[in-house]
Amino acid sequence: MKKNRLRKFLGGLSFATLLFAFQACYGTPQDDGLDIYLYGKIVSKTNGEPVQGINVFVSNLDYYGTLPCAVSDEDGNFSFFTVLNDHIAVRFEDINPLEYGHFLQKDTVLTNIYTTKILLNIELEEVDALDHKKGGVSAI
Amino acid sequence: MLSIIKKAAFRQFKKFETKHHELNYLFWECTTRCNLNCLHCGSDCSKDSSHPDMPLEDFLSALDTVKQPSVGNVIVVLTGGEPLLRNDLEMCGREIRKREKRWGMVTNGQLYDRDKHIALLNAGMGALTISLDGNKTTHSWMRNSTTNFEKVDNAIALAASYSRLNFDVVTCVHQKNIDELPQIRDYLIQKKVKAWRLFTIIPIGRSTQHPELFLTDSQFVGLMDFIVHTRQNPEIDIMFSCEGYVGKYEAKVRDSYYFCRAGINIGSILIDGSISACPNIDRSFVQGNIYQDNLMEVWENKFHVFRNRKWTKTGKCAHCSDFKDCQGNGFHNWHGEKKHPLVCHKEKIS
Repeated sequence: MKKNRLRKFLGGLSFATLLFAFQACYGTPQDDGLDIYLYGKIVSKTNGEPVQGINVFVSNLDYYGTLPCAVSDEDGNFSFFTVLNDHIAVRFEDINPLEYGHFLQKDTVLTNIYTTKILLNIELEEVDALDHKKGGVSAI
Repeated sequence: MLSIIKKAAFRQFKKFETKHHELNYLFWECTTRCNLNCLHCGSDCSKDSSHPDMPLEDFLSALDTVKQPSVGNVIVVLTGGEPLLRNDLEMCGREIRKREKRWGMVTNGQLYDRDKHIALLNAGMGALTISLDGNKTTHSWMRNSTTNFEKVDNAIALAASYSRLNFDVVTCVHQKNIDELPQIRDYLIQKKVKAWRLFTIIPIGRSTQHPELFLTDSQFVGLMDFIVHTRQNPEIDIMFSCEGYVGKYEAKVRDSYYFCRAGINIGSILIDGSISACPNIDRSFVQGNIYQDNLMEVWENKFHVFRNRKWTKTGKCAHCSDFKDCQGNGFHNWHGEKKHPLVCHKEKIS
């Protein structure tokens, strides 16, 4: 603690506070930015089995376009980093219902975010192909 | 008076940093394969590198020994060769973030398309540097490729569009592009690039065969003046790299005074497992190897040659009045016999 105070004092006195965020000659800038890690598991509401192949989107950021931030693996797990915002809208979408069963899209909005890591365990409703085409949406 | 106080405080600050030498910036030379054949390459990389890429798990075993610093984060900077030639880059990034470390990458931008950009952001990449060495003709000449400008242009646009990313463009300044600097500046501003870092080229690696890559003294002064002038423009944060001490231009071409942190805060794991400071430093300064040694033990107990630079007070540095502030210039300037630094920036401006 004492060490850090002295360091900051000397850095401040020499107007070198930016030196705490130095970069090497041939390296990148430092990464002092804020982001958030979203992770979790997607299971079927019907039988509790993990659901593979669900695309996870951050839908309030146009930035990503049509690209998903993650796709759930064979254990239903997904994870990704995204920008820390005051709210984050996450969409879980089955874009290929013929592959691993047919599941309804689910949307959720995260607000009042005070952490850099959020666990999202998601249950998706399984529907038949016809219902899926109607585009049902459930929200939590 | 104020500048004397600032300078004195800064010297103390440097002493303090050197004494405590926290490792918080770690290069990983994850591949020496490269998809370009740049004239100025200091690594002498090639498409068919004799070294296989370092397996991720080997790097992680070393990284696991690194302690969290008392201030801020440890950042791992992936370099090469061209890091994007690795097909496990996202996995590398995720594993680094799992260990509570940050990561960034230095790239030539050739393989940096939209899908890769999003995938790397999702894997927690927070810092990125892309090289741009002139207008289309000059960049292509320097990069020894006629097709790459559009790709780097696209990569810059992608990176600049994502505000979360700490992103900058680096330009190696040489005789062929020094007159293009205003044009490059305007191009970068138009691309909404926030930060631009300028280097000169030192005579190591492939660059030694191209004398036109080295600025004359008056061109170097012109470069300093250009940086000083452009720093008044709030649209872009321009700076001279930390490659060397620049005498009267100190604190005018960067945010603060010169401080080469190689081996003080900056370490590296090179392609063969060697432990050193910046990757462009002469390999005779290697301090250990992750395949035989514990990285953190080497960091704590070796690296004396980086932390006490009195040995550089030799040759042209022996009687230099600025030695206290310069300390032998950038460490990467000491090669071969080590009798003089390869470049003395102060000499260029005197």
